[in-house]
Amino acid sequence: MNLKKEYRIKLVSKDFLNEDTCYLGFECPEIAANAVPGQFVNISAGTVFLKRPFGIASVNKENGTFNIGVKVVGKGTAEISQFEPGLLVDCLGPLGNGFDFEGYDNVILTGGGTGVFPINFAYETLTSNGKNVTVCEGFRNASQVILNKPSYILTTDCGDCGIKGTVIAGLDTIDISDPSKTLICCVGPIPMMKAVSAWAQEKGMNCQVSMEQRMACGAGICLCCTVKVKDEGPDGFKNVRCCKDGPVFDSREVVW
Amino acid sequence: MVSNPLSVNVGNVSLKSPIILASGTCNFGRELAEYYDLSILGGISSKGLTIKPRAGNPGVRVAECDSGMLNSVGLQNPGVDYFIENDLDFMKDSGAAVIVNVAGHSYEDYIDMVTKLNEHKDKIDALEINLSCPNVKEGCMTIGSDPAAIKLITSKMRALTDLPLWIKLTPNVTDIKATALAAQEGGADAVVLINTLMGMRINIKTRRPVLTNNTGGYSGPAVKPVAIRMVAECSQVLDIPIIGCGGISDYQDVVEFMIAGASAVEVGTACLIHPALPVKITDDLKKYCEDNGLNLKELTGTLQRW
Repeated sequence: MNLKKEYRIKLVSKDFLNEDTCYLGFECPEIAANAVPGQFVNISAGTVFLKRPFGIASVNKENGTFNIGVKVVGKGTAEISQFEPGLLVDCLGPLGNGFDFEGYDNVILTGGGTGVFPINFAYETLTSNGKNVTVCEGFRNASQVILNKPSYILTTDCGDCGIKGTVIAGLDTIDISDPSKTLICCVGPIPMMKAVSAWAQEKGMNCQVSMEQRMACGAGICLCCTVKVKDEGPDGFKNVRCCKDGPVFDSREVVW
Repeated sequence: MVSNPLSVNVGNVSLKSPIILASGTCNFGRELAEYYDLSILGGISSKGLTIKPRAGNPGVRVAECDSGMLNSVGLQNPGVDYFIENDLDFMKDSGAAVIVNVAGHSYEDYIDMVTKLNEHKDKIDALEINLSCPNVKEGCMTIGSDPAAIKLITSKMRALTDLPLWIKLTPNVTDIKATALAAQEGGADAVVLINTLMGMRINIKTRRPVLTNNTGGYSGPAVKPVAIRMVAECSQVLDIPIIGCGGISDYQDVVEFMIAGASAVEVGTACLIHPALPVKITDDLKKYCEDNGLNLKELTGTLQRW
């Protein structure tokens, strides 16, 4: 058995996508070769104590690099956004379970916020495998729109670009001919994933969601990042680990 | 046969290394076995077990702090029966000593747990009795703050088993010597010092505690000086060995704890950041012993006070 490693990896590129979100490229051939969409990395973040988890946004197997997107929301992400190319950071990954596209002819990818990063990786992987992919992304307003492609369905809460409304308004424009052969994957804030989950259930489609929770280890040992899932036991639910048992779950398993 | 300079003894328990994975930071070892060969370890202390499965605390369970973190997992565990059925053999086969961490809500819980685990004593090297978890409402720290209660529960468990009883104590007391001595008087084979320090962090925007449980246990390098002080204090009054625990992040920390009086140590929070850290600490300790021409066990309690 190949043992997992903690890597010391080099930051090789950094671009700001908007005023508080940057796109970082790291060199790590092992992660680039092995990562699948929906998985994440845990990277050291300057002076803060714990590593920070980020969904993998893209891989380049030839160059041995991968990308993450970082939105500044606190001290750790603020420090990471100040990293300059050439810097070495500690990294665990790829971590967690990715999306399972097996058995589906069509995949709808939807999400918003920093969820667009794992969606980007899923889109790149699925299109290179010749799958039929539709992407619908939602943002608060035009200034928040990142990593968007012309073929994507775009929604904004205020309607200053794309369809006015949530991603549900965008999803409603998609013609779903064979729900049983169509999978919808959602990465975004909890209310969005909950709404998409209900929408998918109504259409008779399977839905996978990528959950997020405050995380410490990322390796499944501290039991801090729990997600409530349905269980046949007396409580009707059990707490499982977002990092190790997820972060991707069948949306019907999740106790919303 | 060349002697192993890292070998230590905790009472009758021989360990190939002083490094034990601390309870609650390694689950039952399986996930860390993906990173390194667990047989290099002195021991593994299991996730704290209770008589029935526990879902643990709801909501946010971790709050980062300067040089450490608060957790309020709340003893989420599959219950002792599930553990015996599904995890005990894995721990036994790991090649590290098997330390089973026992938690409870009442005296009866501890007695039932010890009785049950005693039936599997061929697979267990020691029972670590958790009288110190700050994240559950009853048992644990409530019992572990009261010397008379510690002595009573320890003596009740002592009557039930020959397995080594290691009592894990809370630092959230005025006099750690009193609680440690109570464990010794009750018949404990060793004490584990220390569990987490109770703390709180507040979100200044919402004015609510970051942790949904309001409070949590503080661990990490910040608590190390507190733990070292407690080990050193107890070392002066105890006849039984001490296992040091609190903020250990490198080999120097292990050496420091042993000089203070620890016979072995537990490494926890640091492994949440660097899962394979015990491999590096082990290598560094070997080099330290070689460079200084000593066996690690010689260090225990060699503190030269001013």
